[in-house]
Amino acid sequence: MSAILSIENLSVRFGGLVAVNDFSMEVEEGSVHALIGPNGAGKSTIFNAISRFVRPSDGSITFDGRPVLPLAAHDLVAAGIGRTFQNTELLHRMTVLENVLVGLDRRIPGYMPFGPSRQRSRAEVQAVRDAEEILDQAGLRPYRDALAGELDFGRQKLLDLARALAGAPRLLLLDEPAAGLRNREISFVDALLVDLARRRKLTIVLVEHVMQLVMSVADRITVVNFGQKIAEGSPADVRNDARVIEAYLGSAAHA
Amino acid sequence: MHGAIPTRSFAGLLVLVALGLVLPRVLPEYFLYLGNTLMMYAILALGLDLLLGWSGQFAFAHIAFFAIGIYASALLQMRLGIPFILGVPLAAALAGVVGLLIAIPATRLRTVYLALATYAFAECAQWVLRTWDSLTKGADGLRFAPPDIFGYVVDTDRRAFPLMALILALVLLAFLYLTRSRLGRALAAIRDSEHVAATCGIDVKRTKVIAFVLSAVLAGIAGGTYTLYQSFVTPDSVGLAQLVLVLTMVVVGGSGSIGGVLVGVVLIGLLPEVLRAAPRGLLVWQEFFYGLILVVATMFMPRGLWGVAEKLRAGARPAGKSEPAAGLRQTVP
Repeated sequence: MSAILSIENLSVRFGGLVAVNDFSMEVEEGSVHALIGPNGAGKSTIFNAISRFVRPSDGSITFDGRPVLPLAAHDLVAAGIGRTFQNTELLHRMTVLENVLVGLDRRIPGYMPFGPSRQRSRAEVQAVRDAEEILDQAGLRPYRDALAGELDFGRQKLLDLARALAGAPRLLLLDEPAAGLRNREISFVDALLVDLARRRKLTIVLVEHVMQLVMSVADRITVVNFGQKIAEGSPADVRNDARVIEAYLGSAAHA
Repeated sequence: MHGAIPTRSFAGLLVLVALGLVLPRVLPEYFLYLGNTLMMYAILALGLDLLLGWSGQFAFAHIAFFAIGIYASALLQMRLGIPFILGVPLAAALAGVVGLLIAIPATRLRTVYLALATYAFAECAQWVLRTWDSLTKGADGLRFAPPDIFGYVVDTDRRAFPLMALILALVLLAFLYLTRSRLGRALAAIRDSEHVAATCGIDVKRTKVIAFVLSAVLAGIAGGTYTLYQSFVTPDSVGLAQLVLVLTMVVVGGSGSIGGVLVGVVLIGLLPEVLRAAPRGLLVWQEFFYGLILVVATMFMPRGLWGVAEKLRAGARPAGKSEPAAGLRQTVP
């Protein structure tokens, strides 16, 4: 039992607004750790701080014993951290296959088009083969050459995840993977996450509003409100926590 | 944006080179002049599209790099006696170096700020050309001698045509390789989402700088080819009107696709000829028509004629949009 990701006293300010305030969290290796809280609580900002898209004003983030904050955003995938995006930010004018190829980018050597070409094209052929295998697993193979922007919403979510998995992360940050999905699709995501964590030993941090999914897959839940941690524990603990009920339902819950 | 270059693209390039050898024997000089102009614009427009359509950067310093290409090729030959065949690569390299110097601050900017800053640079470059009389002959313009390539004096459009076709074919070949390489994918990824690109390990800033430099080099090469079939340049040849013309070609044809840009170059490049053939007086409306076409194209065809054609073709095949997600239904891998 050891923490693979630890966030210590993290604060993020946007001008006068304190989005994240002295937030700490430990994520066990191989666990599914959910981060929940009302809209605007600072969950996505915590993700963006780990992803190095926003600069924290204070605190530290350590992944696998290495400090994350000195890294650039594009160094994270090599360090073993991958993520998906809340609004399925895809490469919408590229094909489904190309989205996964971009996800595999760091495994393809060489930048310039006129390098030692035989070696490069071998790497390229291998990358296409790997990408097709990932598409097979995600059930997206039939849409290989469709533009990502033309897929329906559920498949876009799936492609976002497939793209993230192509980077072979050890820690996967999932920003609302079930938002907007139908029930049947949510149970697929549910089973997929369990498989990734149990069988492939991935550590998953999950921001999610769909409580049905959170309660079913999470080993541990951290609740944030107004940028601060208000509760943490197993799904059963959190479900019965008075502060959590208040944060979600407002003071009406006490009335 | 991945895999090998299709055979028909190679065939197209061979046809281009073959036409370069055959057409000068059959066409009158004026048509060859038109052909040379279109081929020069094709190189210029492809370079601009590398920034606009491939890496999503609205940068307009392009016309300045084109100017550097023209003036440097001409002056290297006139002042230092450096032959065309060395002068053009040097001019393109100079455009690339200036491009790098501009790119480092410019890639920190986005959208309208980037557009304004780079356009301001283009205006500065034009001002330098106009005021540095001793070197550029100022607003009067610079007249230069026909290039001499190992004794082959390029003094007519007929003699320039095969060389233009060959250079354009080489540029297209490089462009095909580039856009199908890992770098081409990285550029397109940055255009679609910088966040996703960075998450996948792509160094966004470095890739933008590379795109900027390659784009400047292409503009420099286009400038070099200008000296092949023209003998005179003024600062006005490399001003806002030219920039708008090239921009119209890219936007109307379809940014982000080689075929689209080539279609745009031909249609917009031949517009003055169409207006000339039309009832008298229409030619003076040329600039107005460019503006009108640009407005209509940006409003109704965000991806140009090429995008419209692709949409029509996509309409014929099922895109897998309506039925429920099969992938989400299948069992867990």
